[in-house]
Amino acid sequence: MSRLTLATHFIRRELRERYRGSFTGFGWALLQPLLQLAIYAFVFVQIFKARVPGAAAPGYVAFLVVAMWPWVAFSDAVVRSTTALQDNAALIGKVALPREILVLAPCSASFLLHACGYVAILVVLAIAGQDVHIARLPLALLMYVPMFAYTFGVALIFASLQVFVRDLVQMLGQLLTLMMFAAPIFYDRANLPERFRSILDLNPFTFYVESLRSILLDYGDFPWRMFGVAMLTALLTLAFGHWLFRRLDPHFEDFL
Amino acid sequence: MSLLIEASGLGKAYPKAHRSADRLRALGRLLRGREDTDSQCVLRNVDLSIRRGESVAIVGENGAGKSTLLKLITGVLTPTTGQVKVFGKVGALLELGAGFHPEYSGRDNVAMAAALHGLEADALAGRLPEIIAFADIGDYIDEPVKHYSSGMVVRLGFAIIASLKPDLLITDEVLAVGDESFQKKCVRWMESYLADGGTLLLVSHSMYHAQKLCRHALWLSHGEVMQFGDVFEVTQAYLAWHERKQAKAAERSPTRSGLEFEVEEFQINGVGGNLAEVVSFGDTLRLRTAVRSREGRPPVIMFGIVRADGTPVYGVSSEMDAIEVRCDAEGRFVAEVEFENLSLLPGSYNVRAHAMDSEGVRLFDSEERGLSVRGASREFGMVRLAHRWLPPGADRD
Repeated sequence: MSRLTLATHFIRRELRERYRGSFTGFGWALLQPLLQLAIYAFVFVQIFKARVPGAAAPGYVAFLVVAMWPWVAFSDAVVRSTTALQDNAALIGKVALPREILVLAPCSASFLLHACGYVAILVVLAIAGQDVHIARLPLALLMYVPMFAYTFGVALIFASLQVFVRDLVQMLGQLLTLMMFAAPIFYDRANLPERFRSILDLNPFTFYVESLRSILLDYGDFPWRMFGVAMLTALLTLAFGHWLFRRLDPHFEDFL
Repeated sequence: MSLLIEASGLGKAYPKAHRSADRLRALGRLLRGREDTDSQCVLRNVDLSIRRGESVAIVGENGAGKSTLLKLITGVLTPTTGQVKVFGKVGALLELGAGFHPEYSGRDNVAMAAALHGLEADALAGRLPEIIAFADIGDYIDEPVKHYSSGMVVRLGFAIIASLKPDLLITDEVLAVGDESFQKKCVRWMESYLADGGTLLLVSHSMYHAQKLCRHALWLSHGEVMQFGDVFEVTQAYLAWHERKQAKAAERSPTRSGLEFEVEEFQINGVGGNLAEVVSFGDTLRLRTAVRSREGRPPVIMFGIVRADGTPVYGVSSEMDAIEVRCDAEGRFVAEVEFENLSLLPGSYNVRAHAMDSEGVRLFDSEERGLSVRGASREFGMVRLAHRWLPPGADRD
């Protein structure tokens, strides 16, 4: 119970910390991905003339939004969590506390903010006449649960390794860019040449992109064949992250 | 009484990892479940068991491992060898402003600290006025902590711990930062906390605080336990060790000579040397000094007693009492004074012998030694003044 209180405290602090001193406050949470989306939409729709393949295909903006927002939540959570232990070195050396919370806080904060943004932008798209199934929103948010488990697992791994290997955070940007383009976020599986398509299944994020598009846009079938693997991946990543963190936890203080 | 802390074979070593290659190697070793061999040992083989209601001072020079021991007990550090168990709620004041976020207001930080100590939000709401009153920092409570003076940070930190009423209170030399009135408030609070059965673990370089608040003491030196026992015995031994160390250093410095009047010997209750002495409250204290006079003129000899922090308690000279200083067989001038039924309250003092010129105007030489007064007394101050309580309704003249 007290752990829960403590976690809420840290999450609240994390949320306040991110937008402290900025005029729009939490508005940034919405504004930032919106701006990013505007750039991508312009580049892909106006310059590259991107089209979503298929007969009853949705507009490209809706197609992009549905996949990109969860990705932003994931990458934001991972980037911020990786340095979480390092940033809280002063606290770790002086106060006894369950340190997972220090990683949990930035992860949860990212997901909370970007899930809210997700709901907001989907509602905006629906009002603007895009073919978004708003009624299935709860179902879509349910997909966030295994996604969070997976993200938290990755965050635990990166945060604990970062304590020992400081180069990790430098490589992280490249790793995430690679992972982003290796998932069908900007394109569809059908855009790829046949022989590359199966590679997408190696990326854990592919499942979330395709399932959310199926749920919210009726685009493609729900990827049932990947469902079991995705759940298992999320669970195993979380379990491994937890194990690794536990293993290294007693030594964090020595290396910070 | 039940056991509160149990440590056995407790040790801590820090890895020597300066280069990033070392860190990588250390990571590999840890993942394979092997211990790091290349490490710096700061604490070795500490066995400790502390019962509920005990009060223990931890003394030792800088770098002796005091703070490391406290951090191991609070769980901030993980022991390299051995283990430590604490059977209760710990409230620790380890370092100045530990756990405070400088950008947030005092109020926010109190909420955070309370959460860190496992206090629910509604429980905190009830105690908040009490905390703010104890910290007594006025409107600063709503200012960011970065604008606080170090004294204010300690006030707030202590106020939080005080409100938590932990089973075990751990403080690490933080009291020294607060001002006089706050120190007194803290000491008073700790005394009532101890009276209510609380357990205290205190790191202090002030033997005065250690002796005042604690009944036992643990002396650490180079990461090992030198002595554990009664606070007076341990602090005496520790101070004596310090003095021996200083004396060794002094031997190397050129000896003073050629003074017109020189204190050659200073005995406390017949014991010479420069070690501290212990005397019981109410016993007899006898100070004796021998002064060498270069030209054979009789000096004025003065004895003084100061509190360990330097506050003068009493001083008297042979000239004030019109006492003639006599020569001994070796031609030294000897004066001896006796304080019968010693009224110094238990605590740490220094006694001094001064050699002055024949007119009692110029001070030529001084000698100082530690004096510890042992005894159980709950009176306040430095000396017991003769007093009697009057029955109600007694005639007053």
